[in-house]
Amino acid sequence: MSTTLQPYLKAVRQTLTAAICVENFSSQVVERHNKPEVEVRTSKELLLTPVTISRNDKEKVLIEGSINSLRISIAIKQADEIEKILCHKFMRFMMMRAENFIILRRKPVEGYDISFLVTNFHTEQMFKHKLVDFIIHFMEEIDKEISEMKLAVNSRARISAEEFLKRF
Amino acid sequence: MAKNTGSSAFRRVDVDQFSEEKYEEEAVAEDEANGPNETDIQRILNEGRNFDALLHALNTAPLSTKNQLVKERVVQTVLKVLLTFKSNEIDVAVKSLDQPQLDLLMKYIYRGFEYPSDGSSAQLLTWHEKVFSVGGLGCIIRVLTDRKRV
Repeated sequence: MSTTLQPYLKAVRQTLTAAICVENFSSQVVERHNKPEVEVRTSKELLLTPVTISRNDKEKVLIEGSINSLRISIAIKQADEIEKILCHKFMRFMMMRAENFIILRRKPVEGYDISFLVTNFHTEQMFKHKLVDFIIHFMEEIDKEISEMKLAVNSRARISAEEFLKRF
Repeated sequence: MAKNTGSSAFRRVDVDQFSEEKYEEEAVAEDEANGPNETDIQRILNEGRNFDALLHALNTAPLSTKNQLVKERVVQTVLKVLLTFKSNEIDVAVKSLDQPQLDLLMKYIYRGFEYPSDGSSAQLLTWHEKVFSVGGLGCIIRVLTDRKRV
């Protein structure tokens, strides 16, 4: 199973590198406005084909592109109840601080756990290859962090149960 | 107040539909392409000619039809063909395809990812890697930007 991790991340990296070609494009509908077209979705000609890359039926990445913005949604592996809760809380923690993350979206797209929104302004300020590196690194680390948190929760629960039951 | 100003439905009228600059999808002649015949593909696969099945599927892809059901069915058929290939056959197959066929194959690979089943994603990831090494980033960009979706 873990043998698909590297090809999966490679495929996501290649697709992201291709899709992150965004340029400035002011709104066609409202003058003097500049909106990320992938979020507004009013003009069909500005949107690219959305593309999914999956590792199995639980883990996948949805990449939606447009002329001036890119939306990346990630579905994270959650094997059991406790991982679901941990993942949900962890993602919520980050999404509440989305402003500091810059490219994070405050709400995940339907069916996914976390979403990023990269606009042309971001690519003008930051290196594209570094943005892609960050997202791939994020995908790698998330699984490790959630496993670590689960271990911590389990060991804490065991220790506190032991202490409690010592009284009996 | 006059009765005609009571409703605010006028706010919902889409005036942009009459704008001359409005983009309209090119009215492509809706040909009756129904994609490859499944029994044909199955027959070719049973004969062991995986590559021929793939070629047949790529040559008869229903690009111009607007019928979603046809497209779904064809995606399943092509996915089946892609999964019957062995890992060493993929290399040979990819090298003998030309540019438009590679782009079409890449489209099908991405569509195949939307229906993950046991082990299908691993095989598709191998396909993706091999096609990328021949087609490069241009192949992916053509998949993203082509309006003729598979």
